[in-house]
Amino acid sequence: MSVVDYTQELSVVEGKPPLRSIDELISRPLNTKPTKAYYIALTVTLSMLGIGVIGLLLSFYYGTGMWGNNNPVGWGFPIVNFVFWVGIGHAGTLISAILFLLRQKWRNGIARFAEGMTIFAVMTAGIFPAIHVGRPWLAGYLFPYPNQHSLWPNFNSPLLWDVFAVSTYFIVSFVFWYVGLIPDFAVLRDRATTKIKKTIYSVTSLGWRNSNRHWQHYEMVYLVLAGFATPLVLSVHTIVSFDFAVAVLPGWHSTIFPPYFVAGAVFSGFAMVQNVLIIIRKIFKYEHIITIDTLEKMNKIMMLTGMLVGYAYAMEFFIAWYSGNPIEQFTFVNRAFGPYAWAYWIMVSCNVLMPQLFWFRKIRRTIPVMFVIAVFVNVGMWFERFVITVTSLANDFLPSSWAYYKPTLVDGAILLGSFGFFFTWVLLFSKTLPVVSIAEIKSVIDGSQPSHGEH
Amino acid sequence: MDNKTLYSYTALFRTPDEIIHAAEAVQEKGYVKYDVNTPYPVHGMDKAMKLKPSRLPFVSMFFGFSGTFFSLFMMYWMASIDYPVIVGGKPFFSFPAYVPIMFELTVLSAAVMTVIVMLAVFFKLPNLRHPFHDTDYMKAVSSDQYGISIEAEDEKFNEEEIKALFEELGAHKIEPIYFDDEEYTFKQTVFEPKFISLLVIVGLLVSGTTYFSLNKLMNMIPFNWMRFQSKVITQEESTFFSDGFGMRMPVKGTVAREHIPYLYADKPEEAAVNLVNPLPVTKANLELGHTKFNIFCSPCHGYFGEGDSRLRGQFPNPPSLHSEKVRNWKDGRIYHVLMEGQNSMPSYASQLNYNERWAVILYIRVLQRSLNAKETDL
Amino acid sequence: MSSVSEIEYTKKSIPAPLRNAGFVLLAVGLVLSLLGIFTDPQRSAFNNIILLMMLISVSVGSLFLISLEYIAGAVWSTPFRRIFEHLASIVLVLPIVALPILFNLHDVFHWMHQEVMDADPILQSKAPYLNETFFLVRVGFYFAVWILFYFLLTSNSKKQDKTKDQKLTKRNITISAIFLPVFALTISFAAIDFMMSLEPHWFSTIFGVYYFSGTVLASLSAGTFIMVYLSKKNLLFKGISEDHYYSFGALLFAFINFWAYIAFSQFLLIWYANLPEETVWFLQRWEGSWMYISILTIIVHFAVPYFGLLSQPSKMNPKRLASMSLWIIFAHYLDLYWIVMPTFSESGFVFGWIEIGYFILGLGIIISVFVFKASKGNLIPIGDPKLKRGINFRL
Repeated sequence: MSVVDYTQELSVVEGKPPLRSIDELISRPLNTKPTKAYYIALTVTLSMLGIGVIGLLLSFYYGTGMWGNNNPVGWGFPIVNFVFWVGIGHAGTLISAILFLLRQKWRNGIARFAEGMTIFAVMTAGIFPAIHVGRPWLAGYLFPYPNQHSLWPNFNSPLLWDVFAVSTYFIVSFVFWYVGLIPDFAVLRDRATTKIKKTIYSVTSLGWRNSNRHWQHYEMVYLVLAGFATPLVLSVHTIVSFDFAVAVLPGWHSTIFPPYFVAGAVFSGFAMVQNVLIIIRKIFKYEHIITIDTLEKMNKIMMLTGMLVGYAYAMEFFIAWYSGNPIEQFTFVNRAFGPYAWAYWIMVSCNVLMPQLFWFRKIRRTIPVMFVIAVFVNVGMWFERFVITVTSLANDFLPSSWAYYKPTLVDGAILLGSFGFFFTWVLLFSKTLPVVSIAEIKSVIDGSQPSHGEH
Repeated sequence: MDNKTLYSYTALFRTPDEIIHAAEAVQEKGYVKYDVNTPYPVHGMDKAMKLKPSRLPFVSMFFGFSGTFFSLFMMYWMASIDYPVIVGGKPFFSFPAYVPIMFELTVLSAAVMTVIVMLAVFFKLPNLRHPFHDTDYMKAVSSDQYGISIEAEDEKFNEEEIKALFEELGAHKIEPIYFDDEEYTFKQTVFEPKFISLLVIVGLLVSGTTYFSLNKLMNMIPFNWMRFQSKVITQEESTFFSDGFGMRMPVKGTVAREHIPYLYADKPEEAAVNLVNPLPVTKANLELGHTKFNIFCSPCHGYFGEGDSRLRGQFPNPPSLHSEKVRNWKDGRIYHVLMEGQNSMPSYASQLNYNERWAVILYIRVLQRSLNAKETDL
Repeated sequence: MSSVSEIEYTKKSIPAPLRNAGFVLLAVGLVLSLLGIFTDPQRSAFNNIILLMMLISVSVGSLFLISLEYIAGAVWSTPFRRIFEHLASIVLVLPIVALPILFNLHDVFHWMHQEVMDADPILQSKAPYLNETFFLVRVGFYFAVWILFYFLLTSNSKKQDKTKDQKLTKRNITISAIFLPVFALTISFAAIDFMMSLEPHWFSTIFGVYYFSGTVLASLSAGTFIMVYLSKKNLLFKGISEDHYYSFGALLFAFINFWAYIAFSQFLLIWYANLPEETVWFLQRWEGSWMYISILTIIVHFAVPYFGLLSQPSKMNPKRLASMSLWIIFAHYLDLYWIVMPTFSESGFVFGWIEIGYFILGLGIIISVFVFKASKGNLIPIGDPKLKRGINFRL
């Protein structure tokens, strides 16, 4: 084990690659024909997507009765998947905005990709509330627009807050992402060899000129956007948690839900980003840009958020006991030892116990192990939403109506389809846009900034 | 080459230290219209160029607060004025519940507008006709070199001096940039056939899609399922019931809500003895009686119960309500008349509900007393 | 912009005004609080809880910030870490401050009366947790753990002044990693024990996080104020830049928002669900003149510092930072007062010389302990390997 020298700043990018090589490296996937492996991967994701589409068509034709949702569990897979996917999105904004505000330079290598994943994850998440309303083509009524019924939506409803939060989140993430892409489009424009590429990149780069008079405002706006995106990302999962927590259902009504959901979202999002990055850096040979140190830092954040989630589990359990409310107490005992105990213990072992392995530096820096742990974290976080949603509903105040929730095949198909949808976008993104920010990565290569001392 | 217009003189450098030094030197010489082009923002360049701090945060602040107040006002107006509905026992204007949306719209408006203002107002982008485009200079500074350019429009512009300055600063390539004549003289016109036809096509597409989705698509399976449902609609024929009616009669003995059965049909004397006016004499009850009397009773009995009908003899005039007989009737006896009618007077049981009948009786008593007041009333 | 190649640091004595101010505040506070104990022991005991929580905020919060720096590998705060280490030494006086409460437990904690417990089935079900013995054991445990980690973290740092050994940094990183989960649990349960159990029926899962947000604010603003003061007197190092100030300001601003976020989440969920056993806590704080204190807390704790630190230049302005950090310390006191005192005076708020005395005592303890520690040790960690990077830190 090497001893870290604390007097020196760690290089974000390994070696000291010439700036031009960065251009070449990052634009290579855009200029080369996809390999066989890419087509195989795309076939797999498209098939998954196809299965999901079949599930959706069945649901549209026969109605939501095709799903496992039934009394008393009216919120089944669709909400679980929605919360899961929104959560996945959170890592992207966290990396691009919060770590930017904290001046963590190592984020520059992974920010673009993570932001892309945010956008795709929010798109995936958006499917579920839309299909859960039953007639997605009428989803326009969710927004307050002057209509012929002179009706307005219910502003007291957390579900409406969700509509605003998720759509704002999508738009702002997209804007943030596009602002970051403008200088890179300029680079691609100046490297373009064919006319069609040149036209496309000229339009998308808006005629960016790398002028410092622009850079100055650009950096300020980037800072402002990061400053807005940071509370925004907190607010989105906070509002998702309100969907549950404003209800008076035991197990849902808990004041710690907002920060707990945010921590969980970051946790699962980092795990997903970690999974995808490990593959991307290998295939595109970005090992010196997305370094093992970066991955280690991500693992540390996963460990931290995992423990925050564990803190919330423990605090909920303690307060349920401390409240002296027998129904509250029953709900939590029922979670851990009732009919859904299997789901509960999958959640605890994947979310709290697995990340504890990251205490060991060796594990934090071993790629296959961290990949497996990240997969487990994703599974665990999906089950966390399952446990919260289903256990509280299945065994509520009225024992005569208790029932055991069973998802149907269509539920499974739509879940599979959501993964297909997400990864199809990820694959397309990786071949059409620069997955690492060229300008940002150049700015953190050793020697790319003026040395301060001399003048 | 001869008739080309000079835009600027440019120099390329290889290291960030050199470009900072160059920018400082150019700034010191007093040039105003110059710019530095770098592949990424170089730290300390703003200071070297002595740029004023960006004013964009004010733009965000303005649009942010606009979003806050707009959303607050919007929700206040929609939920407490235009369409007030009580939800969850909360007041119409429940501020804490509005905070999430206020926050979201603040962020949305600030973030989107800041970017739009930056690109469109501050940078004047998109601009694909700038002379820098397609030059070697641009290709160098977008990749790995650092360039500085002094525009020909600058007051102190002098080719030789600038060349010398750049050479002294150690530039490895010095190059003039010219306007592209074709682009420079190009004038855009709105009424170009291409543009017009584009507008027409877009218009046709939009209106066609709208027409199709609103008038055709909504009548197709499964989008029309909300309209055609397998249930019996009011007034519809039913093959299920033997009588063929879709609507059913209520089960025998069904009592409507708030219905109070009348036990003294054809028994006026029993009604007089057993029924007591349940309403207290209050202003509200008297006003109710007043209103109802004027609507239902006054056409025949007259506004003051004197039997002066307004029907001009088309219907027999009723006797006065001020007669000894009626004055001595118990309330219950009058109630019986309201329920069953008397002589030519029909029943008013279906026009007046329980409370209204008793309120009308209270009002009749008022009328009677006004004409035949007791000594004590004076 | 010039960078420092060699660190010049000569130890100077703490300026007399600060020393005297600390001494005067301490003396006045002690006199007033002692007088309070004799005239109105119950009210004093409640004030003593506020004082104790205030000092826990500053001291344990400082320990948290120190370990956060190690864990995150932050460099900008390294030159100022010693300030937080000195502030953290307040953990050593915590047991003394807690002592008067321990003698007055029955005046403060409703649930410590056996007859109350017997008459209340809900409280009976909490008896395994809310009983005097276990309470004392827990309090002892918190103090022991905090003092232990204080010594572990600061002794290594102090040793480094002489040895400049990088291994000590590494060791402190490990200690910090262990301390953070311990901190999370102890600070939450301390908040539950000392403040939530004042209303033994009421419960809120976010309460620990709520107190945590105030903790960070209090310690950070105490450190910020001292940092600005010392740098104005040239006691720290040369080359303290706007970027350093900005980092402090931005962090303060972030935690102001974090506090508001947590406080609003707690309020909204309880307000919305409208369950009687939960809303009672907020209703109590809307009762009579408490309403004004509730509104005042929102303004003092959120609105003023939010707008005070919103713009970028204001985060870099040492004067603004100093005034805002003092303000936030007061805001944190107000927050604690708003949490604790409604149990003592249910119909409306009381504020008199006893409250002022305890607040002064708190300031006196913070300043005096800091002065005492600072005059014995260095004001910057001169042996820290990250120090030079920290001093040359640019955004």
